[in-house]
Amino acid sequence: MTLRTSISPPAVAPTQIQDAPSRHHMWQRISPYIYIGPAVIYLIIFMIIPVVQGIQLSFTKTPLVRPDGGTGVGLDNYTRLLSTPQFYNSLGATILYTAATVIFAVAIGAGAALLLNQAFKGRTIVRAIITLPWAVPTVATALIFSWIFNRSDGVLNEVVGVFGVGQQGWLVDPKYGMAAVVLTSVWKVMPLVMLVVLASLQSIPSELYEATRMDGAGALETFKAVTWPHIAPTVRVVTLLMTIWSIRRFEIIYLLTGGGPVDSTNTLVVNVYRQAFSNQELGRAAAIGALGLVLSLVVTVVYFMMERRNAAKEA
Amino acid sequence: MAKLSLRNISKRFGDTQVIHDFSADVDNGEFLVLLGASGSGKSTLLRIIAGLTDPTKGDIIFDNLRVNRQSPRERDIAFVFQSYALYPHLTVRENITFPLALDKFKAWHHIPGISAIARRIFGSSKEVAERVDSVSSMLELDEYSKRKPGGLSGGQRQRVALARALIRNPSMFLLDEPLSNLDAKLRAELRGEIVRLHKLTGKTFVYVTHDQVEAMTMATQIVILHNGIVQQHATPQEIYARPANTYVARFIGSPPMNLMSATVADGQPALGRLRLPAPEGLRLGTGPVTLGLRPEHLTVSADVDGPGLPGTVRRIEDLGADTLIGIQPDRTLDLKLWELNQDDLIWIRQTGQTRLMTGDPCTVALNAGMASYFDSDTGANLASAAEVSDAGMLSSHG
Repeated sequence: MTLRTSISPPAVAPTQIQDAPSRHHMWQRISPYIYIGPAVIYLIIFMIIPVVQGIQLSFTKTPLVRPDGGTGVGLDNYTRLLSTPQFYNSLGATILYTAATVIFAVAIGAGAALLLNQAFKGRTIVRAIITLPWAVPTVATALIFSWIFNRSDGVLNEVVGVFGVGQQGWLVDPKYGMAAVVLTSVWKVMPLVMLVVLASLQSIPSELYEATRMDGAGALETFKAVTWPHIAPTVRVVTLLMTIWSIRRFEIIYLLTGGGPVDSTNTLVVNVYRQAFSNQELGRAAAIGALGLVLSLVVTVVYFMMERRNAAKEA
Repeated sequence: MAKLSLRNISKRFGDTQVIHDFSADVDNGEFLVLLGASGSGKSTLLRIIAGLTDPTKGDIIFDNLRVNRQSPRERDIAFVFQSYALYPHLTVRENITFPLALDKFKAWHHIPGISAIARRIFGSSKEVAERVDSVSSMLELDEYSKRKPGGLSGGQRQRVALARALIRNPSMFLLDEPLSNLDAKLRAELRGEIVRLHKLTGKTFVYVTHDQVEAMTMATQIVILHNGIVQQHATPQEIYARPANTYVARFIGSPPMNLMSATVADGQPALGRLRLPAPEGLRLGTGPVTLGLRPEHLTVSADVDGPGLPGTVRRIEDLGADTLIGIQPDRTLDLKLWELNQDDLIWIRQTGQTRLMTGDPCTVALNAGMASYFDSDTGANLASAAEVSDAGMLSSHG
């Protein structure tokens, strides 16, 4: 008997082929919508509707005592805002506060991560201690620092007193107000940067470091050739998050200085609060909020454009 | 250029002794393969030679110079990693140029902006460009030179890693399982490539693998490690023909050497009732021994009354050019197979196809002249033990 390989088509005429009924297939088609449904509903109710209402509010003159009783004023709130120096002062404070907080938090956080990525005794304990500020509630943080900065019996004045510097009003002197607020914010948010960068550092394969040792690279060259390219995307994301969070940070600033001294820390968000609840002008407050939103959006768009360029360069 | 000597190398990680008192000399131009199962200490040994790990004890000597204190770079060696370890953000060409660029790198090049310019000027200099071009074309990488490692296949990545090793013209190449992450076809291809590079450069290669085929086909010398202890250090042919002990006999060869329990009376070994001629040049003491025969040193026939071991065909594996036949010896023989024999069968390799079918009775004939004899307790090859003691040398291991 010989074996033959048949390549001729089957003799029987093909019948119409139909899909077998499948519950699984049905479920596969529906399930994604069921999974994202709750999140979509949440976003619509708590994010999209309030944002739209906020923007609507910004075109009205609405007193705090009668939130539904606003009268339409068109772009009046915006034109008035953009013609007052107080708004630009507030915008400047926001940018200064954000830039300083982000730069210090990212630099110190990334630096700490690099140090804590080295092997040394007690590393776990040191990591835990440095992470603590992130776990402290924001209000508690603000209270602790308001005591530290206190003019008459704060610790900071005791410390600088040792060096012969007289008592300073850290939170009431316009020279120091912003610095004090930034310092507190950095202390609070830096651990998050450290944790995220540390996680990224730990994902670098050890062979790459060994390869640079074989190639004879020094510490700085190794950092540039291996470490930085690996952690850069993480650092960029954490910088974006830090920036957006800094633009809208409220508690620390308000609890420490209330926007003072002399409006030096009157960031947009603090300004929104003051307009709404001190000046009782909901419409004006909403307009500042809308402009703050634009600022956040600009940052985000710039970030994604940079990422796109990087991705294009990588390919 | 570089003769490598390792003297009494030991390595401990905490309570675990990974390498026990390892010594070996490797002449310049040798291709030494460190072969062993995972956990045998072979990679650790390679990393000790490279300077990536310090030995707990012992000396690493290059050409009569102790290099224990030298950094990996100072030892003038190249290392090829299993995972390739390419710099992911650099192109193929930049990866290959990287070690050369580092040599020319000055501290002030770290000033932001300067390093990129310096690297570009350096990379396009005639001498460097020519060297990179020749290495790239040697490894057929020209068309990928602008790509990043992420856009390459495993085989291409490993070629880039080899190119990066070659570019500096080091005195020794260390390769840590460089082909393990590749599929069978690419592995065979790159095996040939690495042998070609070895011939071309004439440098010493130390190559770690767990794959006996790589070891047998590439090495000029093989060291077989087991639990950090050297089992045998010899040429591939020597290891195959005269394994130093039963571990080596089982580790090398596929299927491995058949091991059977034999008894010796009056200097003549017997497998069950089958008496074998006394081996030439080896006096066997009375008592049990382990007899080893490679599958190709056995033949099988359907003639049930012929001389040899009667048995039954249990398995037939047709490999195309060869056929492997697994035979279960007759119970009445009272023949003890070594416990590790695959499926408790005697395996025979025969050229071409067989007419036997599973279940057929048969007779296995032995080429007794090719048999190895091992101590039934220690597993040591009795022939090599006799030679070693004849020469007045005592090896501390196997």
